[in-house]
Amino acid sequence: MTFGKFLVRRLLQGVFVIWGVITVMFALRAVSPGDPVNLILDQAAGEELRQQVREDLGLDQPMYIQYLDYLQGIVVGDFGFSYQSSRPVLPMVLERVPATLELAFAATIVALIISIPLGVVSATRRNEPADYGATIGSLVGISTPNFWLGLMLILILSVQLGLFPTGRRPVAFHDSIWIALTTFHLGPLITWFHHIILPAVALGTYFTALITRLTRSGMIDELGKPYVTATEAKGLPGVLIRYKHVLRNTMIPIITVLGLQLGTLIGGAVITEIVFSWPGLGDRFIAAVNNRDWPLLQGVVVFIAISFVLINICVDALYAKLNPKVAAQ
Amino acid sequence: MIPERLKASLKREFHQSLLAKVGLGLLILILFLALFAPILATHDPTTSRYWDDQGNSYPPLGITYDTEIAQEGERVEYTVEPTTEHLLGTNNVGEDIYSKFLYGARTSLLVGFFGTGLAVLMGVPFGLIAGYYGGRVDDSMMRVADIMLAFPSLVLAVALIGVLGAATIPIPDPIVMAGFAEDMPEYMILPGSVTIVVALVTWVWFARVARGEAMAIRSEEYVKAARSMGASNRRILVTHVLPNSLTPVIVLATIQVAAIILLESSLSYLGFSGTTLSWGYEIQQGQAYLSTQWWIATIPGIGIVLAVIGINLLGDWLRDSLDPNIEGEHGG
Repeated sequence: MTFGKFLVRRLLQGVFVIWGVITVMFALRAVSPGDPVNLILDQAAGEELRQQVREDLGLDQPMYIQYLDYLQGIVVGDFGFSYQSSRPVLPMVLERVPATLELAFAATIVALIISIPLGVVSATRRNEPADYGATIGSLVGISTPNFWLGLMLILILSVQLGLFPTGRRPVAFHDSIWIALTTFHLGPLITWFHHIILPAVALGTYFTALITRLTRSGMIDELGKPYVTATEAKGLPGVLIRYKHVLRNTMIPIITVLGLQLGTLIGGAVITEIVFSWPGLGDRFIAAVNNRDWPLLQGVVVFIAISFVLINICVDALYAKLNPKVAAQ
Repeated sequence: MIPERLKASLKREFHQSLLAKVGLGLLILILFLALFAPILATHDPTTSRYWDDQGNSYPPLGITYDTEIAQEGERVEYTVEPTTEHLLGTNNVGEDIYSKFLYGARTSLLVGFFGTGLAVLMGVPFGLIAGYYGGRVDDSMMRVADIMLAFPSLVLAVALIGVLGAATIPIPDPIVMAGFAEDMPEYMILPGSVTIVVALVTWVWFARVARGEAMAIRSEEYVKAARSMGASNRRILVTHVLPNSLTPVIVLATIQVAAIILLESSLSYLGFSGTTLSWGYEIQQGQAYLSTQWWIATIPGIGIVLAVIGINLLGDWLRDSLDPNIEGEHGG
């Protein structure tokens, strides 16, 4: 199979998965107790007004019509209106995306910067103190709930030592970059950086621990292979062998696992946002659940599913490029 | 049921590995605290007692904190002292932190074990059937599994609880019923919705592992022999495929207990658990008091970390000795 065909097949599968997610969310809303009209109007509203709202929202239609309407809406980007604020759902979701992306990226960068060198050092100095330290550190890292870790970071670094600010992110990354580029004023960018460090570490710790473990075990497997001995015999320096040849081969399984762990990253971002009052999708999602704001809740979940599927396809494509055997299967 | 060779391998690995011993020790400790919580607890974890009538709580032994009171228009500062009656102090609503810690261990382990059991019961038959029959059955079943995997599990779990509501199941506490701890709550609370939901979001991992095993086993000689002797598919599945695929399922189940404990703590931190006797809920309660009474949020977190480390270490031990090639998802 060519790479193009492989991509088309994955895209079709992705569309199927997204359809499944939309359908499940719709079914959940259909079986959930409570009349949505009660969520929109207050108790005192008369029956006539209630009926009017029902008709406006199409809630008086049979279920399958409501379902088809909803599907049709999503195709053209219409996710309906929030029960709580009466605003259209799509902008309510999109305006929260940058903050979540910032957090997820920052956490991934924190994880990669720390974990890969740590894993390499741990694998090349097996059973030395550095290795024991990395092994125990990563065990604690994968076993610590990120929300509690976040609170402990706030407690020690913000409350006790006063090194980091607490509270809501005052400025978005794209805004601070814009200010920096247009006015050469770096203040907002520094403020942003200062605010994102703790949430990024809280969210990134689990991944740091996981990738350290994967890099370590992958490197140990690879270092035992004959080509390493051959390159050593050729006289290549050890650092070059480790980082250029061995690490490259170790990356393939790491990328696969990272793809599988994307759900954990998004789920982790939801709860990290709650801990740090970070104004992202997770914060909006939890509010939607608590308010039983179904259109908003569905919008967030469907949006997350779409991004999730797209990222997974990118990971698969990258994987297929790195390892042509996969696309051939 | 466990072959001798595996037993020997488990023993050898256990003797060599310090971490496996630490893991077993931690798990036994947490199990002990959870099982005998009503006897070990010093107070009913649902009753309140304050240090003063201003709603100030006791700090843990060895710690004091300063607070203020408005007295005749002036603010008077004074110090809150600990008491030996509340070893770890009391929380923001005056409940004994030590006793709540013990009951929190119960909730975590109940959800961890019941949730994993439920996920095994759902995922293993599904995966075995898909992998054994293969072809179209396999394709359509695995597409369902793909949809489940497309949801970040925490997001799915929260959405489901939003629909189901945080229902709880009271289970009579055998220790209290037997009259060993009369002042303690008569019922333990199993967060029913949470247990079902964590199973719903994790069963797919068991389905994947069982499917892989079934695919490998169906082409083994002994399965062909059984088939040639006229054994039905159902008989082959139950007597050959199921027992021979259990090893990786057991390893995955161990890791998933840890993942589910983390997921439960996240859900109860977000307020979706339905019981107040949970480590995650306690952390959420303590969050607002981080700057004055940091121990309220700190102590339950230590419980989560120790329990999860213990179970993860046991999982590593099983995996290293039995060596199946599997991956699982993390719940936090």
